[in-house]
Amino acid sequence: MSFVPVTPIGAPLAPAADDHRPALAVLEDRLRARRAEVEAGWGPSYVDRVHKKGKLTARERLRKLIDPGTEPRELGTFVNYGEVFPGDQRSPAAGVVTALALVEGRWCMVIANDNTVASGAWWPRTPEKIQRAQQIALRLRLPTIYLVDCSGLFLPEQSKSFPGGRGAGHIFKMNSLLSANGVPQLAGVFGDCIAGGGYMPIISDRVYMTEQAYMVIAGAALIKGAKSQKMTSLGIGGPEVHVHQSGCADVRVPDDDTLLACLRREVTRLPTSGASYYRGGVGDLAPAHRADELGALLPVDHREVYDAHQVIARLVDQSLFWEVLPEVGEEMICGVGRIGGLYAGLVINRQGLVGDPERPGSQRPAGILYRQGIAKISAFSRACNDDGLPLIWLHDISGFDIGAEAEAHGLLAYGSSLIYTNSTNSVPMFSVLLRKASGAGYYAMAGMPFDPVVQLSTCLSRLSVMEGRTLAIATYNTKLDDDFQIAVSDPAERAKIEAGMREVEARIEQDMDPFVAARQQDTDEIVELAALRDWLRDLVEMAYQGTGYRRVKNPRIWSMHDLAELARGSRR
Amino acid sequence: MRIARACDALGITPVFAVSEADRDAPYTRGREVVVLGPARASSSYLDVRRVVQAAVQSRCSALHPGWGFLSENPLLASLCAAHGVTFIGPPPHVMALMGGKTPAKRAMRGAGFAVIPGSDGPVASAADARASAEQVGYPVLLKAESGGGGRGMRVARGPDELEAAFTDAQGEARGAFGDDRVFLERLIEGGRHVEIQVFADRYGNAIHVGERDCTVQRNHQKLIEESPSPVLSDELRARTLATAVAATRAIGYVGAGTMEMLLEPGGGTLRFMEMNTRLQVEHTVSEQRSGLDLMILQIRVAAGQRLPLTQDAVALTGHVIECRINAEDPAAGFRPAPGQITGWQLPDRQDGAIRVDTHVEAGYRVPPYYDSLLCKVIARGDDRADAIARMLRALSELRCEGVPTTIPLHQRILASSAFRTHAYDTRTNPLELT
Repeated sequence: MSFVPVTPIGAPLAPAADDHRPALAVLEDRLRARRAEVEAGWGPSYVDRVHKKGKLTARERLRKLIDPGTEPRELGTFVNYGEVFPGDQRSPAAGVVTALALVEGRWCMVIANDNTVASGAWWPRTPEKIQRAQQIALRLRLPTIYLVDCSGLFLPEQSKSFPGGRGAGHIFKMNSLLSANGVPQLAGVFGDCIAGGGYMPIISDRVYMTEQAYMVIAGAALIKGAKSQKMTSLGIGGPEVHVHQSGCADVRVPDDDTLLACLRREVTRLPTSGASYYRGGVGDLAPAHRADELGALLPVDHREVYDAHQVIARLVDQSLFWEVLPEVGEEMICGVGRIGGLYAGLVINRQGLVGDPERPGSQRPAGILYRQGIAKISAFSRACNDDGLPLIWLHDISGFDIGAEAEAHGLLAYGSSLIYTNSTNSVPMFSVLLRKASGAGYYAMAGMPFDPVVQLSTCLSRLSVMEGRTLAIATYNTKLDDDFQIAVSDPAERAKIEAGMREVEARIEQDMDPFVAARQQDTDEIVELAALRDWLRDLVEMAYQGTGYRRVKNPRIWSMHDLAELARGSRR
Repeated sequence: MRIARACDALGITPVFAVSEADRDAPYTRGREVVVLGPARASSSYLDVRRVVQAAVQSRCSALHPGWGFLSENPLLASLCAAHGVTFIGPPPHVMALMGGKTPAKRAMRGAGFAVIPGSDGPVASAADARASAEQVGYPVLLKAESGGGGRGMRVARGPDELEAAFTDAQGEARGAFGDDRVFLERLIEGGRHVEIQVFADRYGNAIHVGERDCTVQRNHQKLIEESPSPVLSDELRARTLATAVAATRAIGYVGAGTMEMLLEPGGGTLRFMEMNTRLQVEHTVSEQRSGLDLMILQIRVAAGQRLPLTQDAVALTGHVIECRINAEDPAAGFRPAPGQITGWQLPDRQDGAIRVDTHVEAGYRVPPYYDSLLCKVIARGDDRADAIARMLRALSELRCEGVPTTIPLHQRILASSAFRTHAYDTRTNPLELT
């Protein structure tokens, strides 16, 4: 069988079912408000300052660079969100906009210093954010465009952003690796470009400068005698020097608009996307069950259950899905569908109760990894890697099964096999934290430590080693009985234990906030649930854009068919 | 039957997929039959899974969806493709594009058609609707994005009616289609319904087979279709047909399709309304005018053959009129009139100028609460007057006993002066003006 035997899945929302959208809206309204807050940078007065110089802001440049009518997919919006630096200073979006965006029909990674935040300075985590964007570009071979306008390192906090393995200099190593791997890089220099900022554009294949731009190792302020000689930074490192004397830049242009138009023209000279070729004449078709109903399905309370098939039905084209190995490990669902006309593998764990193969006739909770489920997703993950199917992991998982039986089954070894698989996969993997991503479950589903190309969170995401309640129990274990009830009779001590447990729970609850993960770069972006399908469609399209760098097999020679056939054979 | 005849002509064995209720229907006599499921359409004819399974199990290499509901279902087309069955129709994403109201409008505007002015996509709120209405001008129509059959539609003749119209349309759309998106367009009252038959192969070759004027309607049901349209100027006709062919090519269309247009009262502009991504009942008008068999062409194109002719070779000559004859009772508000046909006599063919398509014979029982179409009579003449004369003769010869029919209604319309002077529109049929 070389067809991909997809079948229609999902059902319309039951009219009587709970619609969880109102509860979600409260959280997503906050998400939108915070995004607007970040996008405002340091506020209107700084925007005016940029405009008075005849320049555009970073976000205005991004808009003008990308194809009209398309939306950029911004990553790392909330890096440093809520962080306060010396002098009561804040750095919205860590002072740099990184976005996946369509330019002349090709997905590009755009990295733009935010000139409305401390003149585009690099804060703690700014280098890491830029490197993360470069890493994504490298993994997917996406042309990378730097819109440089950077006053250098934010010096009061230099010790946090200079010396480490991910210090600012690592950006230039990434520049080099991108270049060494044949990823096109383009740079536009729009203003200050001092020290580190000066190195960032130089490795790019083409460097454009506006008449207001300069690139220097050190600005005039640090040069002895500069004042009496009336030296300016523009004089020592402007286009006059770098285009005509040093050769460090290629082209000078009068202004921001012209530079952006030139960058667009450069992109037209690159190969077009392979996505349309890999679709094989099939188009992007919306799910039969509307993608914006995802928010209605997922209860805000992580303890409440839902039907995971219904989630997939709202992500894949026309809600057509081939579930692979449905007969084993039913706590996990894995299979293949088209997203935006392109094949992708999806893995999601079920909620509620599923059959227990160890005790036929009885049930056990899903949302937990058991032997069969782990073996199934390991094999599926290897098959996707073998077949070149971008792999999407949808987390709502509590972790691995625990207890005597789990250890005797060797879950540590099954888990390690899965970890080995995911660690050595070369196919693009994407991780989505739908709700819970707890403990080793987060690792098993290729969470951030396993290098997914992009990891997305939702407003419902809860990322932790263990839930607060569980940690509180572990912490006060010696004072509890078999049923985890407090086994102390002295009322004073009892009150103290209760307060302690509450505090542990509250602290963990706070740390599970998706904004904490986003601030720390433990996740790439927080997205609205209704937008998830569009995000995945775009990410999958990016994974098929480049040709010649990764394996993409046609369905006739998928190893997935062998897997399905073998499982069927075992049933006969 | 029409499809099976084309298969016979091509030497293809057709397999009829029927429900249990239809397994012994007269048209399955001597045919290969596969039963989809019980009589209830949702468990048989409308269940895409069963339809595709039936095609796979009976080893069909292709599936013709007919003209019913599934014929414009992109899910069926995709599922066929995923299981190695050739779907006789356009690719699923083109079907989906034309199935979406505002995406289709947008695509056709991009291809050079005038469209009915309105909101660009669905309107999110009553305030948005108001802003959009101010722009396009009252009266306006609010329409469900995934609507059809007149449901989820409301008229607002002025600003004071807008909010209620928006809320009502939204509510009805939510209830009927599970999708409360509505869009707004200017209400054009009356006008003439003109549609263009297009045809394309898989290799980017496209032709038109002329236009059809379907303005004579009753309760939005087409009664009489004719080609050419008697009211289009040669210049407007040529321009619109050329645009239709270019648009067909631009969207990557394959197979037979119909672009439905509205000619504004006053006759200035032809505006695109929607595209039917299937062969329609009235395709026979275009066949009689061009001499082409569109069903055979459809099967050939689905089999991967090139269009066998270019536009220059499509000879559209003479004038063709089609009358749909239904078993309806004019005395009872044209309610379908089921019953047994006791006498049935077809008219003289007038040397090939008359064609009758029918599944009826003497003794046939018209099923209750069902499509009451008995036959289509198609007359071809040198010009319009000639075609009308031939049709009138044929209608006088067509004999149907046992049930009341719309034959007398057609005779009165064709004989009316309003029909001869084109003084009617989609709301007002010629008799009401006479």
